[in-house]
Amino acid sequence: MIGRVLALARKELRQLFASPIAYVVGTAYVALTGIYFFQHLVSYNQLLFVYQSEGLTGVGFDQGTVPSHINVLNEVFVPAADDFGLFLLVVLPLVTMRVFAEERANGTDELLFTSGLRPWEVALAKHAVTYLFVLGLLAASAIYPAVVIARSGLGFEHLIALYVGQLCYGCAIASIGLACSSFTASQIVAAVLGYSIPFVLLDFAWLTNTVSEAVAAQLRQVALLSHFGAFPRGVIELREVVYFAGIAFLGWLSSLVSLELGRAR
Amino acid sequence: MAFLPAAGLVMILVGVGSYYATRSLHGLSAFSAVNLALGVLLVAAGAAAQLRSFRGFAGAASRRVALRSLALLVAGFALAIGAMVAAQRWTARLDLTVDELYTLSDQTRLLCGELGGQPGPPLELVFFEDALLAKDVRLLVDAYADACPALEIRDASRHEPPAGARELYTTTATTVIACRADVCDPIGYPSERNITGAIVRLASQRMPRVYFLIGHGEVDLANQGESGYSGLAGLLRDQGFDVRALVGPAAGEIPDDAEVVIAAAPERDLLPEELALLDGYLARGGRLLALAEPGLRSNLYSDLLRRWGFDLPDAVIVDEVASPLLEDPSPLNLLIHLFAPYNPVTRTLSRRTMVLMPTARPVGLARKPAPDDRLERVAFASERALVTRETSLALAGRDFPLDAAAAQVEPPVAATGSYPRGEPAPGAEAPRHEARVVVIGDRDFVSNRLLEALYNRDLLLNAVRWLAADEARIALTPKAWTPNQDPLTLQQTVAYFYFLAFALPEALLLLGIYAWWRKQA
Amino acid sequence: MSARIEAQGVSKRFGPVVALDALSLEIAPGEIFGLIGPNGAGKTTFIRILTGYRLASEGDVRVDGLSVTRERFKVQARLGYACEQPKLYADHTVDAFLRFMGEVRGLHGARLRQAVGVSVERMGLEPVRARRIGVLSKGFRQRVALAQALLHEPALLVVDEPTVGLDPAQQIELRRIIAGFRGTHTVLLCTHQLHEAETICDRVALLDRGRLAALASAEEIRAGGSLEALFMARVGRGPGHMAAEAAAEMAAEAGGESES
Repeated sequence: MIGRVLALARKELRQLFASPIAYVVGTAYVALTGIYFFQHLVSYNQLLFVYQSEGLTGVGFDQGTVPSHINVLNEVFVPAADDFGLFLLVVLPLVTMRVFAEERANGTDELLFTSGLRPWEVALAKHAVTYLFVLGLLAASAIYPAVVIARSGLGFEHLIALYVGQLCYGCAIASIGLACSSFTASQIVAAVLGYSIPFVLLDFAWLTNTVSEAVAAQLRQVALLSHFGAFPRGVIELREVVYFAGIAFLGWLSSLVSLELGRAR
Repeated sequence: MAFLPAAGLVMILVGVGSYYATRSLHGLSAFSAVNLALGVLLVAAGAAAQLRSFRGFAGAASRRVALRSLALLVAGFALAIGAMVAAQRWTARLDLTVDELYTLSDQTRLLCGELGGQPGPPLELVFFEDALLAKDVRLLVDAYADACPALEIRDASRHEPPAGARELYTTTATTVIACRADVCDPIGYPSERNITGAIVRLASQRMPRVYFLIGHGEVDLANQGESGYSGLAGLLRDQGFDVRALVGPAAGEIPDDAEVVIAAAPERDLLPEELALLDGYLARGGRLLALAEPGLRSNLYSDLLRRWGFDLPDAVIVDEVASPLLEDPSPLNLLIHLFAPYNPVTRTLSRRTMVLMPTARPVGLARKPAPDDRLERVAFASERALVTRETSLALAGRDFPLDAAAAQVEPPVAATGSYPRGEPAPGAEAPRHEARVVVIGDRDFVSNRLLEALYNRDLLLNAVRWLAADEARIALTPKAWTPNQDPLTLQQTVAYFYFLAFALPEALLLLGIYAWWRKQA
Repeated sequence: MSARIEAQGVSKRFGPVVALDALSLEIAPGEIFGLIGPNGAGKTTFIRILTGYRLASEGDVRVDGLSVTRERFKVQARLGYACEQPKLYADHTVDAFLRFMGEVRGLHGARLRQAVGVSVERMGLEPVRARRIGVLSKGFRQRVALAQALLHEPALLVVDEPTVGLDPAQQIELRRIIAGFRGTHTVLLCTHQLHEAETICDRVALLDRGRLAALASAEEIRAGGSLEALFMARVGRGPGHMAAEAAAEMAAEAGGESES
């Protein structure tokens, strides 16, 4: 069983990196995160310069120095985390769209499902490899923040919290994209679905103004961004990890059900 | 008909995307709303068409598999959603911030434990989600909700806050406001120490009395300027102490309710009868905090404190590596980071929690303590520091000679003494059997200018709490983390940018082109 | 090692469309069994049900007594399947692909290396072992498909249209390979080409519109002169559905065949 899953995973990895899409996505993500991180860092440097040269102080803060809330955490990492999350949302559906849809379109799913492979094994291997790709993306994008972390005194543990959050968020987005891919043979449809669903689930801000406060509160509980705020601030909350793990599990389950229903048609 | 759901999805995507792109200008625009509505309709129409043309699962085996799959899906959703909902009640968290910013200190937890048994209206923290620092503070407020069951946490966006809180929010835009019935405290910057301080103020039912000795050139508690000490008095009041003045010559006695007497750097000698009063007060189990300062000569240091075991030579400590934290750095500025790890006054302080003293006088021990006495030096200048008796020259900023005699490894700047021989004061509420003294060789570290710098206030509060026998509330492990606020210079930032935002993506792109070429070949 | 196949009343419906209609047949162990019929006859549908890729609406297929509906993984462990228009991973090399399929089949280490080696040798894939499947000719891809189906020495080999699109030399070579499995494996050969069925198979079944229109052994075929003639006769006596049309189509196919 484990051998089959590993074999499938290796096959998926080989296919993933044989396609230019993975490299294009990786390039885009690393470039975007680098550029935006740079922008935040430059803005922060400029803000420090303004405060230090003009001696501005905030209410109740250290006198004659930069206010406590103007620090690299609040001014660089927290806004950068929001940007990184958005970029994941933009690039991941391009990766997930082909994972199941391509098999179905090429007919290679017939090869897999007549060779003794269980649908859950196939779904697990594909999801796992995609999550591994997300991890790779995040690792590549972590170099710049790691350098800043090392210099800022925030501590590497903080970076771990930030990237655990990114990983949870990215895996949830990827899982939704994979589920969408499993329901169609068209990569385009998979991509459109893979964009639409996470965007709708992002924070429901477009809907909350038109519904009652009670309903809006419930929608906020479901929204992806509502569960992301603690990670960039250096805190890993178990309930938020459970939330994103739940989304990933539901994505995997949906893929599995799609594969099973395909056989039953 | 397959076009319908695809078109609908695209319209939903455009609707949501255009909302996010323009929401800073206005809410949901007509364009976004129309796209969303039409998109939903098209998706629904497409789904209906698909259902009509759906050929179903023909055959018992197919239906069995289909039903089993759907049941699995429903069960999975129920399990996942149940887990997510249940998990929302869990407060377990891993605080990986450098100073555990979002983990409440033991002291706050102790305070929270005491809140439960208090009579009177409950304390509540009112949290304004739309305030500026709300996202940063939410974690801290959640920590209070978890640790302080007796503390009510009210989210102002869902439950109407007390009128006083609403009014304060309107005028100050504070993120968190503490209230007890109609009395509200605006807290200020929503850090743990400020929130707990507010809780202490609102919850305190016992206000220990602290008397400041005045009339001998001590610090000016009314002066609100940078060189004044109004902040010191204010801090003690904020922490629940009743601050009074003890006028030296006019005081025939030291009141019995004096939990602590503070002699904040007298510049002149005390009268003999004043010295005798203080001596007797200590002998009865009194508590004294004495702040010294280089260059000051008073019989408080040479006479009283020496009798109680402290040696304050007329000298000043010099550290060649000046602290850059002040605008006018000088070799006399000291960053104190060496502390006695087990002494109650300094055990919460460490190498990472420094105290800044612009000038300091060494505080040593004059004698070995009597069998029951405990005299201890508790704070030290660095291993590079030296002591010089050329105080005038040093304070004037002029060159002064340093000789071998001046070398003293880690000269002490603070010391404590406890003397378990005191007789209980007649009629006193709680019998005292131990006199306590804390001597700190600097006064300026608690001036208005520097009280909030680094961990200065914590050393002061630790000392006062220990003297007031309120050790359980020894100052909070401070959550005012001071990062290196300038991690990279602009030049370094640009250099890293070129390498990481261009070179690395370029390498990936080249790999991708190679992969594409191989595929084509 | 070979398998016995028994199909009992197998039907498959897609909504109102009946792809298979109560199909029953038996395939003896070691037999090469041909399945022919016009497009849409249900050949591929039957194969997909046999291999467990799809579920039958009614009836069941048993392989060595194991039900495909309820014990499909056990059945799949006993069969190897080379599908029509080989579904392979173009990005993989032949060697990597065969190793992957071997691992999927539960082979590891030395056993896997040996199995891959045997398959490569048997299918003559040594010259292209290190090449990517995507650049191979159709003939080699068919061989790769067969090679992966044989890795685990299955009792039953299911081959769907193996010679479509191949040149005559390749067709002859592939038929030779398939014929070589007689006795050691049970082979279900699905083909459009009457001549191919005639020369290789021990028995041939004709499917038309989801039903078994005719079933003949090699002896009966030889006694009848040719498959075409035999089936013209059989189809004419069969259930009254498109007999003439089917015969015309088969005759057209037979006329287009060439053999060296």
